[in-house]
Parts: sequence; structure tokens; C-alpha cells
Amino acid sequence: MSKKRALIVCPGRGTYNASELGYLAIHHGGGGAPVAMLNNMRKALGQLTIGELDGAEKFSPSTHLRGDNASLLIYACAMADFAAIDRDRYEIVAVTGNSMGWYLALAAADVLDFAGGAQLVNNMGALMHSEGAGGQVVWSLVDDDWCIDAQRLSVVQDILAQANARSDLSVHVSIRLGGMIVFAADEPGLKWLMDVLPKEDRFPMRLSQHAAFHSEIVAPLIARAQAKNAPDNFGTSSVALVDGTGRVWNPSAFSRDALYEYTLGAQISRTYDFTRAVQVAAAEFAPDVIICLGPGSTLGAPIAQSLIQSGWKGLSGKKDFQARQLQEPLLISMGMSDQRSSAVARL
Amino acid sequence: MFDRATAIDENFVRRVSVGDFPASALHNHPQISVSPDVLVDLFDSQIMSRHLDLWARRSKGKTFYSIGSSGHEGVAAMAHATRSTDMAFLHYRDGAFLIQRKKQFGGLTPLYDMALSFAASAEDPISGGRHKVLGCAQTFVPPQTSTIASHLPKAVGTAHSIGLAARQQLVDRQMPDDAIVIASFGDASANHSTAQGAFNAAAWTAYQKLPMPIVFLCEDNGIGISVRTPAGWIEANFSQRPAINYISCDGGDLIDAIRGCEEAVAIARARRKPVFLHMRTVRLMGHAGADVEASYSSIAAIETGEQQDPLLHTARILCERAGMTGEEIVARYEQMRRRVDAVTAEALTKPRLETAADIMAPIVPEASAKLAPALPDAAARKMLFAKDERNIAKPVTLAKSINFALADLMLQYPQIALFGEDIARKGGVYGVTQGLQEKFGQGRVFDTLLDEQTILGLAIGMGHNGFVPIPEIQFLAYLHNAEDQIRGEAATLSFFSNKQFRNPMVVRIAGLPYQKGFGGHFHNDNSLAVLTDIPGIIVAVPSCAADAPAMLRECVRLAHADGRVAVFVEPIALYHTTDLGAGGDGGWTAPYLAPGDASSIAFGELGVHGDGTDLAIVTYGNGHFLSRQVEPAIRTSGVNLRIIDLRWLHPLPEQAILQAVAGCKSLLIVDESRRSGSISEKLMTVLAEAGLADRTSRITAEDCFIPLGPAAELVLPSKDDILAAALKAAGKA
Repeated sequence: MSKKRALIVCPGRGTYNASELGYLAIHHGGGGAPVAMLNNMRKALGQLTIGELDGAEKFSPSTHLRGDNASLLIYACAMADFAAIDRDRYEIVAVTGNSMGWYLALAAADVLDFAGGAQLVNNMGALMHSEGAGGQVVWSLVDDDWCIDAQRLSVVQDILAQANARSDLSVHVSIRLGGMIVFAADEPGLKWLMDVLPKEDRFPMRLSQHAAFHSEIVAPLIARAQAKNAPDNFGTSSVALVDGTGRVWNPSAFSRDALYEYTLGAQISRTYDFTRAVQVAAAEFAPDVIICLGPGSTLGAPIAQSLIQSGWKGLSGKKDFQARQLQEPLLISMGMSDQRSSAVARL
Repeated sequence: MFDRATAIDENFVRRVSVGDFPASALHNHPQISVSPDVLVDLFDSQIMSRHLDLWARRSKGKTFYSIGSSGHEGVAAMAHATRSTDMAFLHYRDGAFLIQRKKQFGGLTPLYDMALSFAASAEDPISGGRHKVLGCAQTFVPPQTSTIASHLPKAVGTAHSIGLAARQQLVDRQMPDDAIVIASFGDASANHSTAQGAFNAAAWTAYQKLPMPIVFLCEDNGIGISVRTPAGWIEANFSQRPAINYISCDGGDLIDAIRGCEEAVAIARARRKPVFLHMRTVRLMGHAGADVEASYSSIAAIETGEQQDPLLHTARILCERAGMTGEEIVARYEQMRRRVDAVTAEALTKPRLETAADIMAPIVPEASAKLAPALPDAAARKMLFAKDERNIAKPVTLAKSINFALADLMLQYPQIALFGEDIARKGGVYGVTQGLQEKFGQGRVFDTLLDEQTILGLAIGMGHNGFVPIPEIQFLAYLHNAEDQIRGEAATLSFFSNKQFRNPMVVRIAGLPYQKGFGGHFHNDNSLAVLTDIPGIIVAVPSCAADAPAMLRECVRLAHADGRVAVFVEPIALYHTTDLGAGGDGGWTAPYLAPGDASSIAFGELGVHGDGTDLAIVTYGNGHFLSRQVEPAIRTSGVNLRIIDLRWLHPLPEQAILQAVAGCKSLLIVDESRRSGSISEKLMTVLAEAGLADRTSRITAEDCFIPLGPAAELVLPSKDDILAAALKAAGKA
């Protein structure tokens, strides 16, 4: 039987929550040598180890969601999931990721080796935790069937136009996240957003312990980020990568300097268009299935919503998507225990 | 062995696997350094294009346009050498260029888009399933459908517009000031008169040291369908042209292709000079899917071409310069095959256009809410018309009214540029543009060379770059050799780009018969049929000074706001007509009012004179004037009538016409154009379909060319003819 073409999506921050506590222990026997290496690295830096975080008795938001802890913890889980994918059944045709997931994608695609990826993720997590200004607010753009609501879209456009005209606050689009939009803002901007955005369900939602990622508010950190992460770690990739602008980086067909410049440049200070990344990857590589690495499963909806927007495989909405998932899944979330078995090698 | 696609595909795999490469004819330019990742990236574009061709050949009945790019994949080097803001008008074999350009831009889906295009899917992002065109709105590639190099004049026009827009600091300009233009075509179409006109216009411009930053990329595969290009012809024809730099390169050899493209682009960009880049290519798999190459070429000749497959050369280069093995290259090629197979299978599931209404939706560009610039204030107008103070206060003729209206429009719209033969220093052969160059300078009002294809191509090109061009065609008869620039190019842009590109313009044409001073066929052409069957364009014919300024303003508004292509046909015989009756009554003149004070005439709004119900004369242009002249005689005969000036001939304002003739007992169409193919035929049809056939008659010009001197009047409707027909129609004859 021929292998299924698989697109891999790497998760970003905020995917390791209370329900993921013990993820490495449960699914990966603690993570083995790679996690041991990460633990040593963190010990040397005086940080809590990945083993300690994953093995904690209780999930502590103030500990587990901190950038300098969450980033590498998610990296460890996602890389372990990536390694567990059954290569006899799946041909990985492209890799993408959301936000911090871009760093994970670089490691999954072998641009960075495991240690190099860990270093980048840990450095950036620590840098954003200690020096990242501002924060993020999430708001929904879709109706109940996950289709873009034109009225909500016009609210966003109006808000951005208003913000643009004001000098007392700074508001930007941080991430286009399928059916959601993530704003990046400074403190006055965050307060204003929470005030002006219409309230419905859990939205608008301020993301705890997140800085104003992917906006010019954190642009001053680019020089620091580059100083901490040398270009030498960057190699070529073993598989195509799709970045946060929807650009495709094909193996051996790009300049490593250009990839470094993007990763530690525009990627930090410009909108991360996860929606476009997913749409481009789906259109240009025609995967049979999309595998979203764990931990967590919060990225599943944005992936599906992105595909609904572009009409991938004729997807028309949430109900349609859910019906297809029952027949033959288009999306496998490894963070969902009932789905991960479809992706991992059978023992 | 007639399945050349399979043979070429298998040859590539077999030969690369064993390292059997064609030798470089150029010793592979050891001195030229190209980064290995660039070579691999370009190879990816080449093999993506190739696999799309192979798929299209295998998918008959599912894909619909099988002219491929195989053998021409070296043009990916031109995309590598240029920027995404360098507007490119592409040859239909340039799939690899478009793929490479879209890859470089990022965030686009070149493979999927191309598959949708081959499959004529409604989701094809450039034409929406209307044609297999190479185009991309984001990367300055207007879609082309031409197979006869008719895209070259507009490429020259676009190149010329860059310097003009920069000099004027045109706010609406679309291209950076240092952009260049790429125009590609085949060796066979280089012979086309349209192409030759474009080369000549570029040389004529550059010869005068004016900027002309264009690279003509001639992809010379040595054959046009079945006719061989004489050996050495392209070089002999183009290597010695005045003011055009000639460079040659081997499109089969990627290193040499990069060398040639970079040299050409450097000259065009830095020196703002035209370059003719002669890129040798091979044509693989015949002219098109339906072309059996073996019917006119020997198998040996076909195989000789295939041995020079550019992909084999690139594979050799990758081994030599990127350290890749044959096995790795074949693996990459096969991986791309699987990817293309998967993506194209997906594309084939996408819907096609299903109704005529869907297909026709983009014929007319998107109406926009774009506002006209504010009207100039009184002081600015006073200064503008300082020298015309005495004339502007008096009733003016049609010619003068157009002249003043143009001046006011140019003052209001900085986007307007006026050009044509003799329109600047001389002010036009009939003085319609007199004084405008003095008022607005040589950058906005200029003479062109004597070539209508160039004039219209310039209009299209300038329209692409933010201008609202008002070109002049000196005589209607001169339009005919260039009409494809409107028919095949300007009018189709919105349709084939699904409203994403526009080339606004108002083409002024002096025409129609009845001239006294300057006789003969060429100066009295009365055929408008060449314009009035083109979907989407507007044809307006003002008949008098009272209407012309308002109609011209409406045309400019439609061009500026909505991107429309409007043709404004001015009746020469009425240009300087002052009197309607005898004895200097000044009845055909009108006061010229400032735009803010004048009434407007909306697109499709008719001119209705009188309210009689015995007879309605439906006419335009000179027919309106003549009908008005005989109106007193008709009334004297007891016929109460109305005279309807159509003003807008295309699209015909059918509902307005039916409303205007409602209640009239008889209808007479007076048409100065020929009986066959004139607007009178359409009018007869419209009126017949409305149940008015029994009361409708027409008089028209004869199906004849216009002879010299007084004989002309014998083949055109005269006042007496109109009177007789009117009385007959009204039952008074």
C-alpha cells in the first residue's frame, strides 16, 4: 500500500495545559535520551527540567505557562510526537507550525538538529518571558459553522483603523489563526481591546503570560535574539517548510542566511499568518492527511477553519469537517488520545 | 514512437541515473558563480513546469490547453533575475517563469494555481477558469492570451510609462521608478508586424535618449508550428537594430541563461535602455497536444532536439556545481512527479464555470467608488484659460468644446496623458488639441511616431501604471490596422484577469464622413462595426458642442473610477460647423461652461429634441446634424416629430431608446454608416424585438467605400434623402 502524504503542523505556545500534564510520561515513557539532554541543558541554566515540569504533581499555570518553561516543554512533547509518527504509513511532504511552532518546524525539518532547536526555543522562550513587552488578545471571526463572519471581519478592520489613528496605544495583528484573530498590543492597547471588542463566549480572551509576539512592539528584541542564536546552527532541510507568510522553503533550495534572517527577523516582528501557511501547504502539497503534533489539540480548529476558508477538498464548514473526520480523518491531532493511534507506529 | 512526452520523461530518468548528460556547448562558464541553492530552486521550478506539461498530456478531456512550456524551462532564470514589481508580459511557453516568480514572492500557490488553470477551474486565481493564461495579480504579471505577439506594444507602453510616471511623481503609479518590463515571445512571432512595430517603437524612443527599460525576451526554438525559422535569422534581424542592445544566451544551459538574463536586466534597469535577449531554446513535445510533429519533422530531428532537453543540462549542472548525484536528482524529479500528481488530482475536483452569467461577470471591470479629483478652483482655471479668455466667453464649435474640455479635465486629473500623431506641437490636424502641450508640458501631451498599434499599446501600458491615457487616432481608418490592440488586448484584460487588472483609457478618434475639405476614403471612414461588437467597451459619438464636453467628462470618469475602455468618435465634418440653418445662425455652437456649472450627461443618456409623436428619427453624429437641418421642412409638412441622438452607440442603451420612441407612430433610423454591419442593423433588431418592426424604417450609407470629392455624397444619406424618408415614414409622401 502506498504511503499517505502527510503535512505536519507544529504547535505553538499555550498548548501544554492542565490536561496535558504528564504528556511525555504517558505517551513517550518520559522522553528518553532526548529529554534527558534537555534536562541537562536546563539544569546547567538553573531552570526547572522538562522531566520536573512534565512530572509535576499538579499543573501550575504560573510555572507551566511561563514562556521560559512552556516553550521547551512543548518542544519536547512535539518532537517526541514527531519521532513517533509511523513512517511506513506516512510520507511527510511538508512541515509548518504556528508561531513558536515555526521553531519546532525548523527542528522537525532538520534545519536545526534537536539540540539546536532546543537552544533556539529555550532562548526565545526565556527572552520573550523576561523582556517581551505587551500581550495578546484572541477574538473569533467565525460563525457557529466556522465560516468567516463578514460583520466580525469588518469589526476587526474598523478596530485596526481606529488603533492606527491613535498615538496613545499600539495594536497589531499578531496571528491570523484560522477562525480567530490574535491581536498584539501594548498595555494600553490590551485594555482598549478588551473594552471595545464585542464579548461573546470566551472572547475576547487575553492570553496569559504571552508578549506582543509577531508585532513591531517586540521588534527591539530582534538584535538580542540574533545575538543569542548563531546562524551556524541553521542547515538545509530534509523536507519542505512553510513559514508564517506562506512561503515555501524547499530542501537545498534556499539560502540558510535568508532562512535565519526570516526566523530571527520578520518572523518576530510581523504578523504570523498561520491561516495562509496551512492553506499554502494544503494546496501546494496536497496531503492526504494533516497531522498536528501534540501536546494539546487547540490547533485543530484553526487548521480546519483555515481549510474551510480556502475550500480545501470542498470543505464547507464545521459540520462538514466533523462528518468527514468520522469517515476518514483529514486531520489527526496527536494530542487527542483517540486520534494519535492513527499516526503512531504500531508496536 | 509518437508519444514524445513519455519518451522525454523516460529519457530524463534513464540518462540522469547513469550520468549520461549532454555536453555543455559553453564550457559551463566556470567564471560565473551561482549559488547551489539557487540552481536547485530553479531546477525545482523547471521540473514542476515539466511535470505539469506531462500531466496535461495525460489528461486529455480534463485539461483544455495543451501548449506546453517544455524545452523553454530556462526562462525560470529571467524570473530569478527580475523583481516581482518588474511587470512581465509572458509568452505562452513561460510556465517556469511564472512558477519561479510566484515562489520568490512567497505565500502564493504556483503549482495548484497552474493546475487549476490547465483544468479551467472557476477557482483559477487569475482568469477564474476563463482561459489558460499565465498571469498573477500579486506579482505584476498581467494575463496574456496572445499567440501572435500582440502583447508587445503594451509592454513597450508600460516601459515608457515608468519614466513618465516617475517624472510626474504620479500618485497612482503602480510600479517603482526603477522597475523594468519583460516581454517574452517566440522566434516565429518575432516576425509579426505587431511585434516589429513594438521593436521599432522601443528603438525610436531609445534612439532619442528617452527611457525605455524593457527586455524583449525572444525564446528561439527554431520553429513556428511547422515552419522552420531560417538558421541565424533572429540574430541577423535583431543584432544590429539602432538603440537596442542585443544579447544572446543558451536557454538550455541554466548557467548561461542566468548570465544572459542578468546582463539584460542590468542594462535595462541601470541604463533604462531596451534589450533584445535572444535565448535559444528547444521545443519539446511538438507545438501543442494536437500537433503531430512527426508529420513535418523526422524522428531523427525530433530526437536531436530532445537530446538537448534543458532539464538534462540542469541535471548536469547540479552534479557539477551543487554536488548532487544522479540518484538524488532523479529522486527529486520523482518526488515532484508525485506532488504534481497529488495536487493536480485535487485541482480536477474543483468546479468549472457553469453559467453564461458567471462567465460574463468580469467583462466589465469592477465599478468602484473611486472619486474624481476635486474640480480646480476658479483661479486655476483662469490661469489655464488666460490666452483663451475671449474665445471661451463665446459660443464654441465642437472642436473647440473638446479642446476646452480636455484642458479642464487635464487640470482636474493629473493622471491624464494625451498623445497621438501630430497632437502636440501642431495641436492635431483639426486643431482639437491646440495649445494643450503649452498648457501641460511635454510629459503629459506628446507626439508619437506614426503607428497606431504603438499608440494604443502605449495607452494600455500607461493604463497599467496608473495613468488615464487619452490617445488619439488621427482618422478612423487608421484604427483598423491596430484594432486588435483594443479588441484582443485592452477589451479582454478585465475578462481574462477576472477584474484584477485594468487598462483604463479614452481613445479619441476623428472619423465619420461628410468632410468637405479633405476627401477620400481614408479621411471619411464611416465604419464603426469594428468597435461595436466588442464586449465591455464603450463607444460614444458626440454630435455637437452642447454635448461633447459632458460626454467626454463621463468617459474620463468611467475610465478613472471604473477602469473602462471608452472610445470617443468625433465627427470630423462637425468639428468646425457653426450654423444649423443658413445665414450664420450659430445654431450648431454652444457656450462652453466650466465643469462645475455645466450639466452632465450620464453614460447611456440619450439626447432627445422635440416631443412629437408622428415620427421619431433615431440617429447620431452627422445624422443628427442633418436631421436637425431638415426638421423645419418635415414640420412644415405637418409631421410632428422628435429627433433622438443616441450619443452612446455601444453598448446600445436599449431600454432608453424604447422609452424615447414610446408612443411614436413611426420610426426612422438615420445612419451615416454602411447598410451592412452598421448600428442601424442593431437598432432594427432592438425595435423589431420590441414589436415595432411594422413602423420602423431606415436610411443608411451604401455598402460602398467613400469616393473622392462630391461623389461621396452619392453614397451617403443626404438631407433630401432624410426628408423624403421622413415624410414617407409619416405617411406624407
